[in-house]
Amino acid sequence: MKRHMRCFLLFICIQNVFSQDLTGPQIIQSVNDVLNPETMWGKSTMTIETSSGEKRTFLYESWSKNHGEKNLIKYLEPSRVKDQSTLMLHFADDIWMYFPRTNRVRKLATHAKKQKMEGSDFSYEDFGAGNTFLEDYTSIRLEDKKVDDQLCYQIELTKKVDSDAGYSKLILYARQDNFVPVRIDYYDENDLNRLIKILHLSDIRAFDGIPTAMKMIMVNQSDQSRTISEMLEVKFNLPLDDDLFTERGMKQ
Amino acid sequence: MKRRLLLIFLVGSSSLLAGDVDLFGYFESQIMGAQINEDFIQMQSNKLRLDLEHRINRIEFRANVNWITYHGKTEWFIPDFLPEPIADQIPAALRPCFVLPFEDTSVLDNAFARISFRRWDLTAGKQQISLGTGYAWNPTDLFNNKDLFDPTYEQPGHAAIRADIPLASRINLTCLYGPEDIWKNSSKAIDLKIGLGRFDCSLTVIEKQWTLHDYTHLFLTGPIEISETRRMFGGSLSGELLGLGVWTEGGFNAMENSDDFTEVIAGTDYTFDSGTYVMGEVYYNSGCPEKATDYSLTDWMRYFSAEQKSINRYQVYLLLQHPVSDQTQAGMSIVAAGDGSVVLLPTLTTTPYENLEVLAYLNLYIGEELKAFNPNQGNGGILRARIYF
Repeated sequence: MKRHMRCFLLFICIQNVFSQDLTGPQIIQSVNDVLNPETMWGKSTMTIETSSGEKRTFLYESWSKNHGEKNLIKYLEPSRVKDQSTLMLHFADDIWMYFPRTNRVRKLATHAKKQKMEGSDFSYEDFGAGNTFLEDYTSIRLEDKKVDDQLCYQIELTKKVDSDAGYSKLILYARQDNFVPVRIDYYDENDLNRLIKILHLSDIRAFDGIPTAMKMIMVNQSDQSRTISEMLEVKFNLPLDDDLFTERGMKQ
Repeated sequence: MKRRLLLIFLVGSSSLLAGDVDLFGYFESQIMGAQINEDFIQMQSNKLRLDLEHRINRIEFRANVNWITYHGKTEWFIPDFLPEPIADQIPAALRPCFVLPFEDTSVLDNAFARISFRRWDLTAGKQQISLGTGYAWNPTDLFNNKDLFDPTYEQPGHAAIRADIPLASRINLTCLYGPEDIWKNSSKAIDLKIGLGRFDCSLTVIEKQWTLHDYTHLFLTGPIEISETRRMFGGSLSGELLGLGVWTEGGFNAMENSDDFTEVIAGTDYTFDSGTYVMGEVYYNSGCPEKATDYSLTDWMRYFSAEQKSINRYQVYLLLQHPVSDQTQAGMSIVAAGDGSVVLLPTLTTTPYENLEVLAYLNLYIGEELKAFNPNQGNGGILRARIYF
C-alpha cells in the first residue's frame, strides 16, 4: 500500500511539472483519486444552519471502501437519530436506511438519492456517489483561476445525456499542488445557468500522504441555508470487511 | 412494586456497568380527542422511555423501559364506536365487558443481548421483531400490528432467541424461536433474504399460536377465545421499476381450525425534486368480507382489537408529504376501504429544536354508518411532543 502511495505522490509531482499540458479528464481523474482512497473511516460533525438561523449538529461515523463504491454512515448524536444508519452501495445507486427504534431497514429508490440527507444541504448523491465526476459528467478544462490565494485548475463538468446525476453542470476548482478541490459550483438539474449550491473545502491536511479537506461548507443559493461538515478524525487504507457494508453492518 | 423493580434493575445495571453504559431515551406527551356522540372526549398520555446500551467487544446489551400514565377519559366504551345495528347485538348484561381501559403501565419493553460471532449473530431476550417491506401493513409479520394512523410508531419487544446468519453477499438467513409454555405453542420463524440485482427478496415461514375471539355466541364471561396454530408461508420483494420505488409482500395463512386466508400488499413511491414524497399501498385479505352489510360483530371487534388487519377485503393507503421548511413536513394520508369509506389524516411534523419532535394530525372519517370508516369512530386528532435525551 505504501508503494502505491509513493507512486501516487510521484504521479502528482510529475503531473505538477506538466500541469499546463493536463486535460480536463486527466485532472478529474487525479481529483477522483485524491477524493476516493481504497478505504476510509472518519468521525465528523455536520452542522446545518437554516435560513432562519437555527443550528442542528449531527455527529456521525462513516466508512467507505472500493474507492467510494461502498459507504456506510452511522449517526451517534443527537439522541433523536442515534444509531440510525445509511448504507449506500454502487456509488449511491442503492440506498438502505436503518431505523433502530423500529428495527426496520428500508430500501430507498434511486430518486431518493437527490434528496437532502437529514435535512442538510448535502444530498445522498453528494455523499455516496464517489465516481460521479468520472461516470456522470464530461469534463473540459477552463482557464486556471486563483481561489483563496491558491492557483487552481478550473474544470467544467457537464452531465452526460444518459446520466441520472442530480446536477446539469459542475464547475470544480482543484488546487494545482495536490488536486484537492477547494470549491465546487453545482447547477440546477434542469437549468445549466442556475447555480444552486456552492461547496467550499478548506483546512487541507495530509494523512498517510493523502491530502484531505477537513472542513466542507455547502451553501444553498436558493434559501441561503448552509451545512458545515468538519472531520474530527480520519484514517485511510484500513482493512475493512465487506460484511460491514451489509444489513448486519448497519445494525452493529 | 413492579415499577420499583424496574427502577432497581436499571439503576443496578447502570452501576454494575459503571461509566460504559449509554443511557438515552425520550419523554413523550400526547393529547388526543375524538367526537363521540354528543361529547368531545379527551385523553392525555405521558410516556418516558429509558434506553440502556452497553457493548463489550462483540457482545451488545440493550434494554428499554417504558413508563406510561393516562389521564382524562381512560375507559373507552367500545359500543360507542360501533355502528348502531352492530352495537345493538351486544346483550345489555354483557356491555360492561366491552370497555377498553387505558391503565398506567411500566414495562420492560426490550432487554436482549446480541453476540456477534465471526460469521453470525445470536440475539436472546425481549427484542423487536420486524418483518416485511410494507409501510402500512405487513402480511409476513405475525408479531406486530401497525396503527394505520401512525404506521412508523415503534412496536413492542417479543421474547425470542434469534440467529442471523449471512450465507453470502446479500444473502441472509434468520431463524427465530419465541418460547411459550410448550413447544407447540411457541413461535418459530425462518426468513431468507436474498439480494437480486436492484431488488431485495425474502422468503418467510412462520408458525405461531394465534388467538382470536368469536363474538357470535356471547357467554356471561364475554366472547369465546379460540386458540389455534397459524402457519404463514410468504415473502416480500422491494426495489425499483421504471424509476419508481416498488415493493410487495404477501403470505398464505394455513389455519389449524378456521378458514385459510391470503394477505397481500403492493406499494409504490416517488420523491420529486421539490422534496414532495408520494406513496401508495394496496392491501388484500381473502378472509375479510367485501360488502359493508356483511360485517359482523366479530369482524368489528377483531379489527378494533387488532386480531385482524382489516375489516374489508381491500384497503388503500395513500401518503403525500412535502417539506414546507427544513424542519417541518406537511402531509396527508388517505386510508380507503373497499366499501368506499375513507379516513383523511392531514399531518404536520416539525422539529423546532434539535431533540424536540412535534406531531399533529387530524382523523376525519368519511363514510356511512355501516362502513369500515365512519364518523362513529370519532373525528378528532392527536397532538404529540417528544423530547429526546
